[in-house]
Order: sequence, then structure tokens, then C-alpha cells
Amino acid sequence: MTQYFIRRLLLIVPTFIGITILVFVITRFVPGGPIERMIAEAQQASMQTGGMSQSVGSSIGAATLDEDQIRQLEEYYGFDKPVLVSYWDWLVKVVHLDLGESTRYSDPVWDTIKDRLPVSAFYGIMTMFITYFISIPLGYMKAVRHNSHFDHASSIVVFVGYAIPSYVVGIILLVVFASNLEWFPMGGFYGDEFEDMDSKLEQVADIFYHAALPLLAYVAGSFAVMTFMMKNSLMDNLAADYVRTAIAKGMPFKQAITRHAMRNSLIPIATHFGNNISVIIGGSFLIEKIFNINGLGLLGYESIVERDYPIVLGVLVISAILQLFGNILSDICVAAVDPRVQFR
Amino acid sequence: MSEVILEVKDLATEFDTEQGVARALDDISFEVKAGETLGIVGESGCGKSVTALSILRLLPKPAGNIVSGEVIFKGQDLIRLPADDMHNIRGNRIAMIFQEPMTALNPVYRISRQLNETLALHNPEMNKAEINEASINMLKRVGIPAPERRMKEYPHQLSGGMRQRVMIAIALLCKPEILIADEPTTALDVTIQAQILQLLKDLQKETGMAIIFITHDLGVIAELCDRVVVMYGGRIIEQADILTLFDKPRHPYTRGLLNAIPRLDKSSKEVLSTIPGMVPSLFDFLPGCRFQNRCDYVQEQCTQDIPVLESDSDGHQVRCFRFRELLS
Ligand SMILES: Nc1ncnc2c1ncn2[C@@H]1O[C@H](COP(=O)(O)OP(=O)(O)OP(=O)(O)O)[C@@H](O)[C@H]1O
Ligand SMILES: [Mg+2]
Repeated sequence: MTQYFIRRLLLIVPTFIGITILVFVITRFVPGGPIERMIAEAQQASMQTGGMSQSVGSSIGAATLDEDQIRQLEEYYGFDKPVLVSYWDWLVKVVHLDLGESTRYSDPVWDTIKDRLPVSAFYGIMTMFITYFISIPLGYMKAVRHNSHFDHASSIVVFVGYAIPSYVVGIILLVVFASNLEWFPMGGFYGDEFEDMDSKLEQVADIFYHAALPLLAYVAGSFAVMTFMMKNSLMDNLAADYVRTAIAKGMPFKQAITRHAMRNSLIPIATHFGNNISVIIGGSFLIEKIFNINGLGLLGYESIVERDYPIVLGVLVISAILQLFGNILSDICVAAVDPRVQFR
Repeated sequence: MSEVILEVKDLATEFDTEQGVARALDDISFEVKAGETLGIVGESGCGKSVTALSILRLLPKPAGNIVSGEVIFKGQDLIRLPADDMHNIRGNRIAMIFQEPMTALNPVYRISRQLNETLALHNPEMNKAEINEASINMLKRVGIPAPERRMKEYPHQLSGGMRQRVMIAIALLCKPEILIADEPTTALDVTIQAQILQLLKDLQKETGMAIIFITHDLGVIAELCDRVVVMYGGRIIEQADILTLFDKPRHPYTRGLLNAIPRLDKSSKEVLSTIPGMVPSLFDFLPGCRFQNRCDYVQEQCTQDIPVLESDSDGHQVRCFRFRELLS
């Protein structure tokens, strides 16, 4: 077992290199890189200083940044070397925990990510917690009362939640509860008075007050699949021979479910556990954008749009590592609930 | 003769299916006496398992329903017993082993837990150590080597024969008065089969329990049973003590079954007979006798009326209009 996990940990290395090299190469060939951006910015600047009288021509770019400057920039970003060489330089730095600097803000990438990570982790972990907290009991009740009014009514709610994209749920919630009713704030991770609050308790309350609507939007998008997975899995197990054995032993039906069928039903849920971690911490940039939350999803999205490659790669490094560890965590969870699973 | 401890009277069971209501059991009546072994024999699909499940009210819900009849166990009707009282009977006074040992145990729990919980359910006064010891002793009695080690294992670490022994151990833990064994050896290979049958015989001698032994194998019936119920298409078509049934079978179906057993004392040149045709599905039975489409002696009456189960003075019962003519 330990041997298996050591091997899994070692396998992270080639997988990680595979993922990052792919993205690194793509950043080289996608048009609109940081240098082109700078040329464009310089263009705009010169247009404004030069006034509207100067006609917009193709010669202006060359006029604002000369060959020399461009070569300097290329050297700065490592674009003068072959892709693999500069990838190697980048990787060596990453191994020394240096993710480079943002091309937009010239802040260290790690600092930027470090600011966003707690926000994303908070939303990710809370969403997962609430999703399991709703889905497992709800799936259980739906399975036990299969085909009842309760089952049908809750299915409608679940399907509606599943059918509407979570960003639409987010917008609806925002319009109704924040804008019209003004029960909740319009967005942000916490309010303006956060720093001045006296007690930790007040601060925590403020975070949850701001988190209520976005969390609802996140949960609405993720609990449908989980609820049905739980229900179907439990239904399968309720019909299993070993549950009949338990009842034949003299166990009441309810006990046979909670003591025998439940544990088996959690196996597929456990398989999903690790994957959820990375997906959820990565966040949804749309929900983050709607609620103005500065999380990793939004950061990654903005960096791609702005061609801020060091940040793009930095976010990728973090989420790849989360994903890879999440997979191992899944395996550990499955092994914990299912003794038939043995890792060699 | 010893007392009757279980009496099944006019039992009928139906399944709600997508094609409509299927009557899986009709007019089932038989008795089990203390300490005896009653065999129930018949082809696949004739309703043997459904009979066993109906007795213990283990039918799959909500599809399976007992629609009429009584199951009298020592004076109480199990069909109408409150659920709580039924829990005290299952596994404690009437226990059951199933056809499929590979899936009957819970894959995620150790053997120890699956044995111990049965004792804990019915003997709240026993403490954990006593329960564990009793479980180990029971594993020893059903012939499992190194029972202490086996207790710590999971079902997937055991062979099919071992698992069926564990199932038998679970069933016998609370010293039941009746053991229902639903084809306990069908899924096992022949040598293991013989061992398990011998084990059941020995355990019955020790404990004096009655056994309802379900099988499609008349050879096993001959080896084990005192009396036999022959089922066809959800009905009992013949019932007799073992010697009578093998010597003087009355129903054309039973005769067909007996002729289909290969025998060493017959010359190999004699052709082994089979019963032609197939059992219709529950929806395709014609009115009248359910065996009519496969019977050599079918006449007009058989296609119109359902024959009643007639009993002679020795208790030999048969459900056939023509058995008297056929005897001579
Ligand atoms: N859950 C169910 N739903 C619908 N019909 C069922 C169900 N279980 C059993 N039946 C029907 O009841 C009839 C009797 O089945 P049963 O399992 O008792 O047969 P059996 O004699 O035990 O056969 P086998 O030797 O194959 O175990 C069959 O025709 C079967 O189709
Ligand atoms: Mg059966």
C-alpha cells in the first residue's frame, strides 16, 4: 500500500511536466503575447500624446518601439531562446519555488496567487462541504422513498438546479436578493468595514454574509449530480443480496440500510471526492466575476485574456498539483471504504 | 409422529411487473414437522425461492406481495405478525441460507462483524467477548480451519465453499428451529457440494432443527429428505414421503423428472428421457393444468379445469385428473 502511494507520488513528476510543457508551448504560438501587447500599449500612448490629428497607420507601431527595444523585451521574457530551453529555465525556477513575475503588475506571481488562494479555498471547501451535506441525506431519502411524492417533488428541484447553468443562478440570485430585496451584498469577499471590526466572530459573520449568494450558486450547480449518484447507488445496494441477508438475520429494514447499504453506496461518492477538490478550488470564473470575488478562477481567466503568461503558468502549476494530489486522495478514500480495493 | 411446527396454508404470491400482475405462487400448502427435512423440488422458475421468501416475508418490495394464505409457525400466523415480532423470528427461530454465496455477504465488512451482529440482535444480554467466542466456535463447527484468522478477513478473501459455510454458521448461530436452505450448493462444485450436504446432516443431528431444503436436484433430495414437495409453475403437483415418491410417482411430471436422472443400474443403451418442451413464463400459462403443454396424457379436461390436489390415506398428494388411470 505505502509502496503504491510512493509510486503514485513519483508519477506526479512526469504528469506535471507533461501538462506544463503543453501549456508553455501553446503560450509561445498563441498570437497577442506580452510584447505585442506592449507594442499596442505604446501605440495607444503615442496616439493620445500625438492627438487625434495623427492618422492611424501601420507604421506607428514600429515608430513607437524600435527593434532594439523589442529585442530587449524578448530577452527579458526569454522569447529569444528556443521553447524547450526557456521551458527548462522556467522549470528550474519553479523547482526553486520561484514562479516569476507578472508581466502586468511586475509583482511576484506567487504573491498574487497567495492572495487569492484562501478565497478560492474557502469557497471550494465550503461548497464541497455543503454539497455533501445536502446530497448524501437527500439521496438517501429519495432512495428510501423511491417513487413517493417527496421523491418526485425533490427531483424537480434537483433537475431545475442541474439544467440552469450556475452563473445564471448566480445572476438571478444577485438580481433578486442583492439588488431588489437588498438582503445580501452585491459582491466581494468581505465588506468595507472588515478591517475595523472588533471581534473575529463579527469578521467570520461578515464573510458568510458575503458568501451566502455565491455559495448558493456554486452548490446549485454541483449537488444535482451528487444527489442522483447517491440515490442510484443506494437503490442498487438496497436490492443487493447482502441486504436481504441482513434482514433475514432479523435486522429491521432501516438498520439494514444504515449499517449495510450506506457504506457500500459511499464507494462511488468517495471516488469523486479528490476530483472535486481541484475543480472546486479552481473555482468558476463566471461566478467569481458575477460576485466580484477575487479567486483563482478569475485570476486565471484575466491572465489568459491579458496574456500574462507567468500568472497563467503559475495558476496552472497550482491547479495541476491540486488535481494530482486530489487523485491520490480519491484513491485513499476508496481504499478506506472498500476493502476489496488493494493497491500494489 | 412429531409435532407440526410450520404449516403453510393456501399461500398465493404475486409480483407487480411492467407486463401486469404475475401470480408466482398459487394454492401452496404443506407442513413441516419438528426435526424433519422437507425437500422442495422443481425446475428453474417454478417458485421454490419465492415460497421460501414468502415464508419469511423477504419478498422484494414493493413488487412482491403475498395475496392470500397463512403461514402458521407454532400457532402464530407469520403473514399477519407485526414487523417487530417478525424481526425476532428471522435469524433467531427461522433462519435462511441463500442460493448465491458469492453475493450474500456484505463485501465491506469483516466476517467477524457479520457473524457477531446476528448474535447481538437476538441476545442483548451477551457481551462482546462472549459473542465473539460463540462466533468463533460456530465457524469451527461448520468446518472452517483457523477460525480466529478467518474472522478478521473480508468475504472476497474466502472461496465460494467457505462463504457458504460462513452463511450456514450465521444461520445456525441462534439455534433456529427451522433452517430454510435455498439451493445452498447449486453454485458450488461437486466435491464442495457433498461436504456441505454432509455438514447440514450432521448439524441437524446435533441440533434437532427442521430443514426445508430447496433444490432442483432429485439426487440431493434422495440423500437428504424425509418428505418431498414437487412444484411446477407455482403450484404443488405432488407431495409424498421420500420412498413413496421414488417408488410410486403419480404425476406425469414427477415421473418425467425421475426418468431424467441418469442411473448406473440401467444399461447405457437405454435412452435417457427428458421432458420435452419448456416451462412457459408466468404470463403464458393456459387455463387448466399448467403442465398440459408438455404432458403425454393431456385430455380435454386438463385444458379447462385446474385439477385439485388430492390426498390418499397415506398423505400422498397429487394434482392430476388422470393419475388413477395412469397407475394401472
Ligand atoms: N422480483 C420479481 N419480479 C417479478 N417476477 C419474479 C420476481 N422474482 C421471481 N419472479 C418470478 O417468480 C417465478 C418463480 O421464481 P423463483 O425465483 O421462485 O424460481 P425458483 O424455483 O427459485 O428457480 P431457480 O431454480 O432458478 O432458483 C419466476 O417465474 C420468476 O420469473
Ligand atoms: Mg431459486
